[in-house]
Amino acid sequence: MSLITVRELTKEYVRTKPVQGRFGTVRTLFTREKERTLAVDRIDFTIDEGEIVGYLGPNGAGKSTTIKLLTGVLWPTGGTVEVAGPDGPVVPWRDRRRLAHRIGVVFGQRSQLWWDLPLIESFDLVAALYDVPADRYRSNLARLRKLLDLEPFLRTPVRQLSLGQRMRGDLAAALLYDPPVLYLDEPTVGLDVLAKETVRGFVDESNRSGRTTVLLTTHDLADVERLCRRILLIDHGRVLYDGPVDGLVARYAPYQEVLVRLDGEQPDGGRLDLGGFIGEREHDGRWRFRVGRDEPVHRLLAAAGDGRQIRELAVVESNLESVVRELYRERRNT
Amino acid sequence: MAEIRREIRLYLKLRRAALRGAMQYRGNILMMVLAGAAYQGSGFAFVWALLHTFGTVAGWGLGQIAFLYGMRLLSHALWLVTLDGVMQVDYAIREGHLDRMLLRPVNVLSQLATTTRSLLPFGDLSMAIVVFGVAVSVADLDWSPGSVAFLVLAVIGGAMIEGSVAVTIAGFSVRVLDTWAYRLMMFDAMDTLGSYPLSIFGSGMQRTLTYVLPVAFVAFLPASVILGRTGQLAVPAWLGYATPVVGATLFTVAYRFWRRQLRGYQGVGH
Repeated sequence: MSLITVRELTKEYVRTKPVQGRFGTVRTLFTREKERTLAVDRIDFTIDEGEIVGYLGPNGAGKSTTIKLLTGVLWPTGGTVEVAGPDGPVVPWRDRRRLAHRIGVVFGQRSQLWWDLPLIESFDLVAALYDVPADRYRSNLARLRKLLDLEPFLRTPVRQLSLGQRMRGDLAAALLYDPPVLYLDEPTVGLDVLAKETVRGFVDESNRSGRTTVLLTTHDLADVERLCRRILLIDHGRVLYDGPVDGLVARYAPYQEVLVRLDGEQPDGGRLDLGGFIGEREHDGRWRFRVGRDEPVHRLLAAAGDGRQIRELAVVESNLESVVRELYRERRNT
Repeated sequence: MAEIRREIRLYLKLRRAALRGAMQYRGNILMMVLAGAAYQGSGFAFVWALLHTFGTVAGWGLGQIAFLYGMRLLSHALWLVTLDGVMQVDYAIREGHLDRMLLRPVNVLSQLATTTRSLLPFGDLSMAIVVFGVAVSVADLDWSPGSVAFLVLAVIGGAMIEGSVAVTIAGFSVRVLDTWAYRLMMFDAMDTLGSYPLSIFGSGMQRTLTYVLPVAFVAFLPASVILGRTGQLAVPAWLGYATPVVGATLFTVAYRFWRRQLRGYQGVGH
């Protein structure tokens, strides 16, 4: 039984199209021409209880719009979302109040904390807004204080917190009322290495011990490698890939890259044929070959060593980052 | 009923939090309250100077004008103190605060109303109390429990009329974002027209300000009732009693409009 079910979810933004040219600003006021942007285009997926899913895609792919639909901020143009719960399923935008208790949301770019007040007062307010009973609030706060090490700045006004401290505060606020689902929209953006690790460790811990189901958008693939077993990759509002992390690498990069630097006289041109493998010249003079995972590398090496000296050799395993980089690059070219 | 009590409790909690936030900036507090008081006070000083020269305006003496002015200022301060944050809806949308409000299990308008750092409304309120206090002692009125009750209801009704304008404009903001110009225009019109005896205008203008842009209901009509000056009105005298009903009706309509607009919220960016 899945916790979140997304069916045919579609969101089209309709905006008045600005008129270019002479008196463009004035003419824009009267134009009836509309500009339609299909931000999310018939997306389907389900998320089971206890999963951590990485929601990836280049800027403008439709990630944020999906999050806003899942959290009920926006009404979709079509399709549906259901979040299961003990008192029946909830369609986010139709019943925001019931949804509110089931989801925690953290936006990396903007805080939900009260800017001018000490951090602890934000927690008091969140607990009141979500009707958290006093004893549960006390025990949850005690646990979060310890897990996120909030003690040193609990009485500091939020505006004086560092970004890392603020993010810890935001995570605590989002989980104060025990929501079964946690949406994280770029939770590590702008954080230093240690702060990132704290965030990741906390999300991992909440998922393990609290059974919190997590959907995470990020541009830092280390977040995904550390936390997610499953990836949803979207672009142009469509799901490109839905499956395990290694599956993505195997599907989009069924090869490894071999970098070779040859001694002495270099062949002319930008391409080099060695034993049937085509290499391309890198800007530093090395040759880059792609070798399939089941192809014999030794043939390339034998051909390279034939009558020449190999000065330098490196084998680069494809990883998530190289695959995603490749996918995003292809997108820009289309 | 329990739900309404919960909303009121949370509203008060959020409003107190906003005030505590504002109190963090000590130097600012006094300045803002003084600025609010000075702004409203200067308006009244102008009327005072005018009357000192001419004695009466459209048959209204100083005490009566002070009463009208004070009544309107009370309504004005009341809606500002309670709903001030609604004016900052453009900012709330731009910064994504409205997104967050939509996520919480609390009335969105009530959250919006309490996101303010401004203390100006308390300046307005203090000046309103001073002007009204002076006016009541000068205006020579016969008070009965009935007229006191009507005064209270009329002040609340007046606050709801002005508040309904703010809520309506906030509704437009959700769709078109930039509405500060309309807001400025509307509140300027209400400030200018709401505080003086509208009998200085001809009957056509009085009717317009009653039926089209209901500024007359905010203070002029109910003050005419309390001061016993309904004989002068260009509109039926009983309308003077209608302020509480008009206020409640307009506010309900404005609130419904706001809710509808919120459904069409497109967010900012993708």
